[in-house]
Amino acid sequence: MTERIPDSHHVLEFPYTRTTGPVVGPFLTALRDGKILGSRIDGKVYCPPLEFHPTTAAAVESDFVEIGPGGTVQSWTWVAHPTPKHPLSEPFAFALIQLDGADTPVAHAVKASSADEISTGMRVCAQWREERAGSITDVYFVPEADAAEQEIEPGEGDVIITEHLISLTIAEPLHSHRRRFAEGLLDGKIIGQRSSASGKVYVPGRGYDPMERVRLDESTEEEVADVGTVVGFTEINPVQYHGQKERKPYIRCSILLDGTDQPVQGIDVRHIGVDDFRVGMRMKAVWKAAEDRYLEDIDNRYGSIPETVVERWDPTGEPDVDPSQLKEHAM
Amino acid sequence: MAIDAPVDVAIVATSVSPCHRHFDDTEVALIMDCVNDVIGQVGMDRHSIDFTIAGSCDYLSGMPFAFVQNIDAVGAWPPVYENHVEMDAAWALNEAWIRLQHGDIQTVLVSGSGKSSPGRPREVFHLQTDPYYSAPLGLDSVSASGIQARALIDSGKATEEDFAKVVSRSRRDALQNPNAQVKYDKTVDELLAEPYFSEPLRMHDLPPISDGAAALIVSTADVASDLCENPVWIRGIDHRMESHFLGLRDLTDSVSTRIAAEHLEIHSGPIDVAELCVNYSPEEIILAEALGLGGDCVVNPSGGPLAGHPVMATGLVRVIEVANRIAAGHASRGLAHASSGACLQQNLLCVLEGGYA
Repeated sequence: MTERIPDSHHVLEFPYTRTTGPVVGPFLTALRDGKILGSRIDGKVYCPPLEFHPTTAAAVESDFVEIGPGGTVQSWTWVAHPTPKHPLSEPFAFALIQLDGADTPVAHAVKASSADEISTGMRVCAQWREERAGSITDVYFVPEADAAEQEIEPGEGDVIITEHLISLTIAEPLHSHRRRFAEGLLDGKIIGQRSSASGKVYVPGRGYDPMERVRLDESTEEEVADVGTVVGFTEINPVQYHGQKERKPYIRCSILLDGTDQPVQGIDVRHIGVDDFRVGMRMKAVWKAAEDRYLEDIDNRYGSIPETVVERWDPTGEPDVDPSQLKEHAM
Repeated sequence: MAIDAPVDVAIVATSVSPCHRHFDDTEVALIMDCVNDVIGQVGMDRHSIDFTIAGSCDYLSGMPFAFVQNIDAVGAWPPVYENHVEMDAAWALNEAWIRLQHGDIQTVLVSGSGKSSPGRPREVFHLQTDPYYSAPLGLDSVSASGIQARALIDSGKATEEDFAKVVSRSRRDALQNPNAQVKYDKTVDELLAEPYFSEPLRMHDLPPISDGAAALIVSTADVASDLCENPVWIRGIDHRMESHFLGLRDLTDSVSTRIAAEHLEIHSGPIDVAELCVNYSPEEIILAEALGLGGDCVVNPSGGPLAGHPVMATGLVRVIEVANRIAAGHASRGLAHASSGACLQQNLLCVLEGGYA
């Protein structure tokens, strides 16, 4: 049974673009072009350059000073197990490096073949990457003896924007109640949970009654109808944001299944025009053939009844339910 | 009393979930059990609690607006007066204490929760660093703590053996804590024989990855004795922060903790017990020095975060561990500490005492 349910994981991504401003911008521009800048504040040189006074937090005038590329390791740790988020894929050191000409150290990566090559007080030197984007990762450090002479070709224009894609992979086995709901869908059944406190039926169950705040276990689960009433809808005109998979307008609706107390949300309707769609409409699930049903992208977040198990929802032809009777369930 | 506050505030009920390596249910379920527990202890109807505040972080379980779903654990209908901090729930307690100072409400429910198991904490936590200079490097909290540990060793303030002593004692003490996730009886020599994970840190110097929750109810003095037999009084609460740039800080000291401790006059009385947010073993050495804790103070008898680290509840659990020991009569005055950010960047202290308002 269980092999029918794919591993539950999802990727959470936020593509951030940020303006760099008058301090970070010149620093990143210079870095791309082969120079490291510090900023002088009250006679002390800070690297990375600060937009504010380190003790009073007052805004400060930019007074850039070229520093490095050599420096001294003040403290370090050996990253024996790098993650995909790290700037080097092989084991490396993260270190606080006081660049020549600076009074404060900057955190950065030092490439070395083993921890034995790294020590507090050692000399290191910046190395520029072939591909540079105006990012802190345009450089990495190496032991001074390993540093190569580099000719750095300046890039074009100033770095006024940085792009940083946050991408987290979240993997978790389906919760037991969610797995039973998923298996039900593959068997052509919609499973809800009947609250032991109120008798209300929630679909899909979340493992608890959100009104009475009691946990609900397997004994509260029952098959519910695959016929219900539209209690709310919206027409979605897909905005082409990062990760958007939809291209054409469609209806997303909530359907209160007969005998239940909480509408199933996020049911997509693509074969009925928005002018013909109504709150109060009676709808019935048209299941895919058993051998064609599958689940993908199912996880522990709130889920709906996906189009990979129910082909579509068709009007039953029954008279509409008076929308005033659905007020409590409008979503 | 160190803080001149108009309203005396007491902890009247507490609940802590076990720490799970992976909890097979929702974050809501974790919180709900704790909330139902504390409401049951005080015998209140949930609707008569004046204010609710929670601490959690959506990034941990990768569910945008998880903090909204979490309100299900409190009961969102009829609507409740509530707030949320994207911080450890010890900071939610801080807001609860401030809110009670207004004098117009009597009870606040505070909860904290975190499910770290679905994500990869090292990849999640680098996102709390500055987005230009540090986050693109993936400067994670383990590596930052490794740099801090090295600085501590180089300064002569501690050795790897000192780190192992913290771990050995904490996880041995945790054998008595039913909620602890990592507990064992290992000698310092056994621990030092293990390989490095992020030299000079070994895996055992790191906190476990945990799912868990905690909740408490605080009240004003006029109702505290009606709600429980042994109210535990918050004599002072203070939090301070330092730069997020590691290079601007002395990593071998916790200046912000020191300032908070001075402000609270923590040594105006004996400190019988201290629960410190020691996420990485070297942090105990730094904190004990900044706080000036003497040998007569029992530190982290629960095992501390090294025994269970339900991120965003970890700090609130420290408060609860101290409060429970005072309520049970095992201590009369104690100190709870919570931290946030890399290498003890932000620190909160809470002085707790039994007896009368």
